[in-house]
Amino acid sequence: MCGRRKMVSELATMNDDWDETLRYYLQKLLPLVSSIVLVLFSYMPFKFLVPENIRPEISLICVYYWLLHRSDVFNLFSVFLVGFVDDVVTAAPWGSNIFQLLVLYVLVNNLLKFFNGKPFEVMWAGFVPAALISMLVRWLVVSIYYGQFLPLSLVMFSFFVTVALYPLITLINVFVQNKLMTDEV
Amino acid sequence: MKRRRVLFMQLSHIRQLVKKFALVILFLVAFVMMLVNKTDTVLIDKTSSVATDVVSPLMDVLMLPARGIAEVYDYLKEMRLAREENQYLKNENRKLRLVSERAKALEIENKLLARLLNYSRPDEINLVTARVLSEEGDAFSHSLIAYLGDKPATKGQVVLTDRGVVGRLDKVGKLYAKVLLITDINSRIPVMIESTRVRGILAGDNTRRPKLVFTPLASEIKPGDRIVTSGVAGVFPSGLPVGVVSEVSKRDIRVRPFADLDSVEYVKIVSFAGTENVRPEEDGVGAGDNE
Repeated sequence: MCGRRKMVSELATMNDDWDETLRYYLQKLLPLVSSIVLVLFSYMPFKFLVPENIRPEISLICVYYWLLHRSDVFNLFSVFLVGFVDDVVTAAPWGSNIFQLLVLYVLVNNLLKFFNGKPFEVMWAGFVPAALISMLVRWLVVSIYYGQFLPLSLVMFSFFVTVALYPLITLINVFVQNKLMTDEV
Repeated sequence: MKRRRVLFMQLSHIRQLVKKFALVILFLVAFVMMLVNKTDTVLIDKTSSVATDVVSPLMDVLMLPARGIAEVYDYLKEMRLAREENQYLKNENRKLRLVSERAKALEIENKLLARLLNYSRPDEINLVTARVLSEEGDAFSHSLIAYLGDKPATKGQVVLTDRGVVGRLDKVGKLYAKVLLITDINSRIPVMIESTRVRGILAGDNTRRPKLVFTPLASEIKPGDRIVTSGVAGVFPSGLPVGVVSEVSKRDIRVRPFADLDSVEYVKIVSFAGTENVRPEEDGVGAGDNE
């Protein structure tokens, strides 16, 4: 009887361990998963208020946010994966989205790290040059790829839409960070 | 024991090196991906099709709640305009009934004349309907992802909406396919002016209005001319509506597509019997909702 009770308690402990491990890894993956879901959501065929069917670069906002707030769980490989998913969905040359996000990674890691912990407005202001440089680098790379300049006006328009949508996407990311993630990760 | 330790040290050394140069390596990977993409090989086609098949189901799942909300919104919006629309449709129906009677008479006349001249008709086309899962149109690319299911399709087939041509199939997976829109920089479609039969190529440049190129210098093209597919090279059937000439300048001729590329919900994929791009086993009617 005593042995059985011991076995049950051991099993319960093992289950708890499993739960904890699973939760640990799921939480570790949350920034990546939420970023991918948001990126996919941005390509859904809904009638947008924005003309020309220009979509915001959600991946830029997500990568910027998570690199500044949780660089411990959102690393270089996560940046690569988000860019890869973006590349798969679009018909742009493979690697161009990855390239753009890697440029953002370099900028955030080397220049904008001190933005961490600053008020929202400061972080938003920091996003503006970072997004602009990343998008312009991509525009230049893809233009070289095709051997002709792509319409810069559309890039700028997309940039403005992205910057305007920054607060909304950040709100979703804040929700994921505060409500779904715990500090144990 | 010593050898194992040396091996372990070597592995950890390699790992440290990779960590140190990870950023450079990933930049190189992105660059190589672009280079390989440029070669447009079968390998890239297959990889891209598989990747589309992997990512698209996620979008399909995400679409479920979003589509529900959109349907409720549309329903409420339509209810508001139902009375006006009903009146408009009644008037239009009256006009169309007359047109329909005239068309029937012309069809019979056409058949009789064709028989008289021993004229062989162009091949019939089959249409397969597919649901659109994602769309994008920015400075870098213009494309759609459509859910085909088990319906037959191959790369290069023309894609339509009820208004006109929207593009062609680019990457075809097992269940999903990527459609390259006529506005994409990689899109080239043989077209002609409907009234004058002047031929040209409709070339996308990632703007909303694709360009009409390779037209004869002496040809008179003016705004308002209707553009249809020419059927040259036998890849597309001829006579499918594409757009209307919107601007003629010294630099270029711009075309406004008939189809509203901003909000495409369903597309029709054209199986053009008699062309090479239809696989033998897929010839004829598809498994889906053919029309």
